Amino acid sequence: MTILLMGHPNVGKSAVFNRLTGANITESNYPGTTVDFTEGYAFIEGEEYKIIDVPGTFSTEPKDEAEKVALDILAEHDDPIVIVVIDSTKVERGLYLAFEVMERGYRVLIDLNMWDDAEKHDLEIDVCQLEKILGVPVVPTVAISGKGISTLVENVPSASRTDIGELREKITNL
Amino acid sequence: MEYGEEGVIKQVTQNLKNQLMGRGIREGKMIRMDTKQPINGPVVITIDRSTTSLGLNLAKEISVEVKHDDTTDGSS
Amino acid sequence: MLDPEERWRLIDKLARETVEYGADRSTIGSVLAELTVKPLTGIPFALAVLYGFWGFFDAFAGFFTDGFFVPLFDDHWLPWIQNAFPLKGSWLYYILVGDPEAVNSFEALGMLTSGVFVAIGVVLPAIVAFYLIITILEDSGYMPRLAVLVDTVLHKIGLHGFAVVPMILSLGCNVPGVASTRTLETKKQRFMMMILLSVFIPCGAQLGVMLSLIPEFFGYIMIYLLAGFFVFGWILNRLIPGRSPEIITDVPPLRIPTFKNVSRKLWVKVKGFFTNAIPFVLLGVGLVNLLYLGGVISWLANSLEPLFTGWFGIPKETVAPLIAGFLRKDLAVAQLSAIDMSGFQLITSVVIISIYFPCIATFSMIIKEGRNSGGVIKVLGGSLLTLITVVFLWGGLLHLIGILLGVA
Repeated sequence: MTILLMGHPNVGKSAVFNRLTGANITESNYPGTTVDFTEGYAFIEGEEYKIIDVPGTFSTEPKDEAEKVALDILAEHDDPIVIVVIDSTKVERGLYLAFEVMERGYRVLIDLNMWDDAEKHDLEIDVCQLEKILGVPVVPTVAISGKGISTLVENVPSASRTDIGELREKITNL
Repeated sequence: MEYGEEGVIKQVTQNLKNQLMGRGIREGKMIRMDTKQPINGPVVITIDRSTTSLGLNLAKEISVEVKHDDTTDGSS
Repeated sequence: MLDPEERWRLIDKLARETVEYGADRSTIGSVLAELTVKPLTGIPFALAVLYGFWGFFDAFAGFFTDGFFVPLFDDHWLPWIQNAFPLKGSWLYYILVGDPEAVNSFEALGMLTSGVFVAIGVVLPAIVAFYLIITILEDSGYMPRLAVLVDTVLHKIGLHGFAVVPMILSLGCNVPGVASTRTLETKKQRFMMMILLSVFIPCGAQLGVMLSLIPEFFGYIMIYLLAGFFVFGWILNRLIPGRSPEIITDVPPLRIPTFKNVSRKLWVKVKGFFTNAIPFVLLGVGLVNLLYLGGVISWLANSLEPLFTGWFGIPKETVAPLIAGFLRKDLAVAQLSAIDMSGFQLITSVVIISIYFPCIATFSMIIKEGRNSGGVIKVLGGSLLTLITVVFLWGGLLHLIGILLGVA
């Protein structure tokens, strides 16, 4: 089973990765390119998961080589779980990427990282409602300090697919 | 076309849209011009708390209706 | 798939329902974040950061190299191994220990004397100091701000502000510098940057040696190399076809780097230095000594003499360090100190060592990266062509300047 960590650059993706994986980390070169990505392993509820720290990307419409690799990694794994890591102070942007991944039919789990920054800015995010509307688990974390990571891990098995048609209706009827 | 302060994005050219959609730069959003670098250097803008820097010629493809300080409406 | 417009419409609506923005408070961080990107305050700030960077590098490397390693190697290690190593006068002694009469570790030129000294005593402190600062700059989110500030200048030679990242990385080691050119958008930019970096930016190891050996000329050499960077950047930008798109980059908020992250990254770099760089230094010393013994160097020196003394105005003995320079630039600079020459000749030699050819590690990285920047043959051919032109023009020009100033 594979877990892909996707997100914009500078959202603390690598910090999440370091929290999830143990010592057995390999940095490798994506074949045919010069983009590096990091791979590691984690045991979640007795099952071994391969975790890949996908190069940072803004969208699944690639603009440069790193984004192309991100998309290739997404495409070549058989039904992976995608953890979309979002900077909590920039929810909209992050959701844009999350939507794109959900539209492609992947099982998604959303990580609202840098939650402490959001609190600092008096930003209030209704996680429960977000979860209900999107139909995928949404977990606030502060990866740097490790806060929320255990909840994130618990929610990995419940990552789920969303029907975009339904989602569109739900949001339109809000 | 745009100078300092804040405004609302009126239009983004198609060419730029493809590049900027994922970064959250889109029509109808509040935009704040943070700085302009001298000698045709890049501009720095903020939208939804994300700060982005753009080359001047790219920035020219974004049209903004500048909000003047005396107008009172304007929450995003 | 939804179309982007609709996706945004849905997200905006969703965000309005679930996200509530508080008052936009100004914190010390956000004020500083703004000041560092505004030209009026940002440029002085950037200069201060770079100056601080420099001061720290100089002080840290100086403290360990001159204060600790130099006395350790010169007073204890060198005399000890000169006497303790058997077979004095044999070729093995020459390769491993070098000159039995040498009184300082730079000039002994053996693998176990100069080799170990340069690697551990000079380069290691420089590498540690350099990566410590780089990691802090990276983790604090300052890099993109610097990129925005220098974009104005770099865009004039067809590059991005973001080219400043490979530039700074290259000051540590050209290999990650060349590797990081992949963040540049077009083949043209990547190609230009690879060449300019590997030719004009001296690496941290070389900086460390220069600093401890010839601090008085350091400034001149750097200015001349940087001038070359921009002059040839400007020329390459005219010559190479291709687009130079404008910068688009995120400017993330400033953060305080965590100790754990910084130390972990630093450790990875230092470990890499031990496994990758040190063997090269030792091999370099050994190879040059072997070539000396085999008479290859004196033959090369004699046949290249017209070029060296006539065109560049440097002694023919410089051939040996130049060969070592293919393996390690720092080593090459260190070996120059054993050659008798004038101050201006020393400056010229160091400049030539910097620009004549990338070290083997950088060279192989260029080959590796070249595949993605227009094909190996094109990149390699292009860089060799540029290289030869640069060495002749820029090296010869320096000689000319010397003649005009009356010092060469």
